[in-house]
Amino acid sequence: MVKLNQVWIIAEKEEALAELAAGAARLGKSVCALGAGDRALLVKALSYGANKAYYAGDFENGKTILNYLPSLTAWAREKSPDLILVAASRDGSLLAGSLAAGLEAGVLTDVVSLEVEDGAVVAERMVYGGAAYRKERVGQDPCIVCVSSGLFEARPRGESQGEVEEIPFVEPAYQVRLVEKRAKEVQAVNLSAAKRVVAVGRGFAAKEDLQPAYDLAAAIQAEVGCSRPIAEGEGWLPREAYIGVSGVMLKPDLYIGLGISGQVQHMVGANQARLIVAVNKDKNAPIFQQADYGLVGDVQKVLPVLTRLFRG
Amino acid sequence: MKIMVCYKLVPEEQDIQILADKTLDFSRAEWKIGMYDLNAVEAAVALAKEGDQVCALTAGGDIVENSKLKKAVLSRGTQVQYSVADPSFAAADSFYTAKALAAAIRKIGNVDLVLCGEGSGDMYARQVGSLLSGQLGWAGVNAVNKITVTEEGLLVERNLEEEVQVLALSLPAVLSVTTDINTPRIPGMKDILAAGKKESVHWQAGDLLPEGRPRVQTVSTLAPEQTERKKIVIEGDGEDQVLALYEHLRKAIQ
Repeated sequence: MVKLNQVWIIAEKEEALAELAAGAARLGKSVCALGAGDRALLVKALSYGANKAYYAGDFENGKTILNYLPSLTAWAREKSPDLILVAASRDGSLLAGSLAAGLEAGVLTDVVSLEVEDGAVVAERMVYGGAAYRKERVGQDPCIVCVSSGLFEARPRGESQGEVEEIPFVEPAYQVRLVEKRAKEVQAVNLSAAKRVVAVGRGFAAKEDLQPAYDLAAAIQAEVGCSRPIAEGEGWLPREAYIGVSGVMLKPDLYIGLGISGQVQHMVGANQARLIVAVNKDKNAPIFQQADYGLVGDVQKVLPVLTRLFRG
Repeated sequence: MKIMVCYKLVPEEQDIQILADKTLDFSRAEWKIGMYDLNAVEAAVALAKEGDQVCALTAGGDIVENSKLKKAVLSRGTQVQYSVADPSFAAADSFYTAKALAAAIRKIGNVDLVLCGEGSGDMYARQVGSLLSGQLGWAGVNAVNKITVTEEGLLVERNLEEEVQVLALSLPAVLSVTTDINTPRIPGMKDILAAGKKESVHWQAGDLLPEGRPRVQTVSTLAPEQTERKKIVIEGDGEDQVLALYEHLRKAIQ
């Protein structure tokens, strides 16, 4: 593989930065880290394999990443990297589009593979709610890629090399100021790492009806997730708990779908499970076509019995 | 204030057929407004006060000329609907889509606020909003789940992974809203009838001349390999049937 000349990396957290640095070193001859708001993180980048780091400035006096978009974009235009890897996050996504506008670059997101072929960036991603994978290519233009954690494997920290250079501030043409910031209650849902997952869907009529699903999950040491309407429409579970194309992608040993119809947007998040089990009162629910074991019946009747059997 | 909501027409996923060679067939697919864009439409309509104007804008292939789909966005409370058609927009990347929208927004003129959904219903790359603000040189904010109009501009709440930010922002601006911001309305028969009388403006790409070209080429779009499943289905929810399911499960997860 012929490498690209300059690959830049942008991340807000050390783990993500370490992964991107490892990926960038595979794809490019030189690796530069770029960032704002956390200078110490850029110093660390130099020990994860970045040859150089560019720092735009602190998040002080109501400044956020939004205040630095023109500075970061102008600097990227001046240095013209071939590829910029941005750790996927809401800020990262905003930054990616902003950089792409300034660099007239192609932008790729949620990639499951990323390679350099004949000097072009080639990546794959899921499209149409999971119905297909699309292979995309950015050839002659610069390319920005939003990278989720896990695409690249981080390497341990090594000797620090290179230096952090401060870049000039470019005043935005607009005004933006942080007025208030509140920490969110971080939900203790860690579905993506769970070995066993019980997922609840529309087959439950009310939040109070979910208890038997939690009981089953407890009996088999499973985490509880849900389909999108349960988290977003009903709010019965936190947003972090929904499984599917715009939510959590699972890879458990066991997935049990309860009252889940089996729409593709949900199932793409579940179909990498080693074993898929479904309980649904609708015999024609598509989930039965995608399950190893299914039971046509009422979850409220089935769950207490199943839980009792597992408890022994 | 003139508010422009951008939306994308997308095929209904349930109607996409997978052919033997793993390619997708859209010929039987119904088209609809992208589900995430409905939140942007609702947010725009909810924000509008007496004297404000809410317009809707889409760019795409021939489908944008479909009158039922035009009515779909007008029946949700928008006042004027704009569409830009070109075969090159049908499969355009985020970059070129944003260019087309930016060209239309400039042509329409006097737009104070652009709202976008979280991402398109088909590609869900979540880039058009920030590309658009970058290309227009306006303030751009994503993950917005609350908008308040103030004397200086806007107060917006951003829902990030670990914190909520409240930002004061000048206009003009481009905001991408979350799906938590509201519950989109379902238009009634009266709204649909009224939509037929509202103004629709249609352009071809040649009327706007968006600069540039797509940056991303599609190499292939193929359905994934399906894992073979046993598809053993037990009918009935009596004790015996549950016991049968339990026996299968117990063996499988040992």
